[in-house]
Amino acid sequence: MTAAVPRSASSGDGPVLGRLVPLLAVETATTLVGAAFVEGLDRASGAPRVRWAGRQGGREHAELLAPAIDEVCGKDGLGAVRCVAVDLGPGRFTGLRVGVATAKALGQALGVGVLGVRSTDVLAWAAAEWLSGGGTVDADGGWPPVVVAVDARRGEVFTATYHLGPGVVPGHGATGAAAVRVVSPEAWAGEVEEARRRQGRVVVAGDGAVRYLERLTTTDGVQLADDPDGLPLGAPLPRALALLALDRLAAGDVPMSAAEVVPEYGREADVRVNWAQRIAPPVATAPGAGRRRAPEAEG
Amino acid sequence: MNGPTASRRDGPTSAIRPRRVLGIETSCDETAAAVVDAGATIVSSVVSSQVDVHARYGGVVPELAGRAHVELLTPVVADALARAGSDESGRGIDAIAVTHGPGLVGSLLVGVAGAKALGLAWGVPVVGVNHLEGHLFASLLEQPDLGWPLVVLLVSGGHTLLVAVTAPGTYRLLGQTIDDAAGEAFDKVARFLGLGYPGGPAIDAAAESGDPRAFDFPRAFLAEGYDFSFSGLKTSVVNTVRKHPEATVEDVAASFRQAVVDVLVAKARRAAADVGATALCLAGGVAANSLLRRRVEEACAEDGLGAFLPSRSLCTDNAAMIAAAGWFQLQRHPEGSPLDLGADPNLRLPDSSRGGAAPAVPIVAAD
Ligand SMILES: [Zn+2]
Repeated sequence: MTAAVPRSASSGDGPVLGRLVPLLAVETATTLVGAAFVEGLDRASGAPRVRWAGRQGGREHAELLAPAIDEVCGKDGLGAVRCVAVDLGPGRFTGLRVGVATAKALGQALGVGVLGVRSTDVLAWAAAEWLSGGGTVDADGGWPPVVVAVDARRGEVFTATYHLGPGVVPGHGATGAAAVRVVSPEAWAGEVEEARRRQGRVVVAGDGAVRYLERLTTTDGVQLADDPDGLPLGAPLPRALALLALDRLAAGDVPMSAAEVVPEYGREADVRVNWAQRIAPPVATAPGAGRRRAPEAEG
Repeated sequence: MNGPTASRRDGPTSAIRPRRVLGIETSCDETAAAVVDAGATIVSSVVSSQVDVHARYGGVVPELAGRAHVELLTPVVADALARAGSDESGRGIDAIAVTHGPGLVGSLLVGVAGAKALGLAWGVPVVGVNHLEGHLFASLLEQPDLGWPLVVLLVSGGHTLLVAVTAPGTYRLLGQTIDDAAGEAFDKVARFLGLGYPGGPAIDAAAESGDPRAFDFPRAFLAEGYDFSFSGLKTSVVNTVRKHPEATVEDVAASFRQAVVDVLVAKARRAAADVGATALCLAGGVAANSLLRRRVEEACAEDGLGAFLPSRSLCTDNAAMIAAAGWFQLQRHPEGSPLDLGADPNLRLPDSSRGGAAPAVPIVAAD
């Protein structure tokens, strides 16, 4: 698979990247949980050698993530890691905390930096890969806008619109930047249709796009990007996160120290005090034991 | 449960019993890390309280607690390691113990995820510890030669239970609250009286200058069984204050505190007599309550029992107690917990007297 965005890594910036691989990427922003390990760059082609694992985990982010890291790194891989990449969100709060806490602890324990990227950037990168790989770039070489939507639950999505093209790295610099906002599915659909009206064609991606595609009044000129397996591009995949991280590093982005990294929740905390939830239920089967628990509203 | 364990040590070294344990605790609103030697000697213990984060809401806000843990865990762990003469490479750390329940799920997961990542990077085992079991081990950290059996009264914002400990790691649950925890009642009454948060110290301070006999609040189940109930008491305080607007905050606080302490002490004392305990122990944040401490000491003196009142820093949530309980589990299961360890917000105390109680350590299936 060729990467959408020409990787400067493969042409000249080898020494920069050489100091930052092996790279481990940690993905937990949506219900897909996994990790990717970039062992190194192929000597001949400069293409990264990536192993990755991911599973649909529902709420089991913590249960699935550590085994996935162990699996992709192999026996001695983790000790060799020189940079940890993590999806900062926005996404599911609990998942983000598991991923970011894991990445921070790995960075801390291994003494390496942590590069945080946004979930919407990962999806935009994957959509760009699909666009360039599938030959669906316009005849004149123009790229359609990519409108990403990550399910924010509570009937909302996190959305960001990207204007990509050769050499543009999602989330990097002015060309790759896209503001993330939390909006209703209808507002998102309106933005998609507006983008299509202006540019004739638009690409959408993300679990919010998959979920709310039906809210569009017409899908004429609207394409849902595929992932490399030909499935609708819903979740950010660990592989895309790792490859975007390489592009970002090659473009000059610098990993942070583990202590500085925080999730991008994309929305303020719900500050209702939930007394029932605060209190763990009694420990045995007394009458009423456990009845005080309330389901978690988020994450 | 199967799959690889957190320990990446191969060969003969995997049989070595870990000695120096890093404990991590994030079950509620304290972010804590500690290094403990051989389950008994506290080498370092760091607790970062989020009281300021939650104070304006009068209680712990789960989402804010989760967010704060993510930001605090890295520096708290670094500090605990540095104070123990180690560093972030984990030099000299043989294992990691982490609270995996009970508690707030979003908070627990931060500690569990962080602990497993440190364990993978350092190549040491990670063991999941029951927070309640940690509290029971807190007393052993200051007084390792407590006699057996003993009765522990564990009272905090989240828990109120009476446990008979017949040996380290062997517990029998005697009773517990059927509604509010004692500390929760303190928080709610303090909020109602406008005394601020956290409620325990606020009520304790106000009560010192009040008349504990000003109001006769109910003492639920005083003479029966070992279970507790505090929600009726809270309601009674509210009704009384509405009926007597002239009542002083000090008198209400003193009478309320007296009612809570009377019930706690009467039941703990009766439990100690029934089990033939040699000593009575306090654990949990409410164990810092000054009246409770005085009354337990008096009762134990009258009954010829040893009284053990851990220092305030060991009563409230801390990671040293988690490291101690984890060390004890690692003696039996040096490989620790599996890599797919998660958080269990409803985790129960392993009760050796009840069949089918969950083992303290999720054991890797031999197949
Ligand atoms: Zn506690």
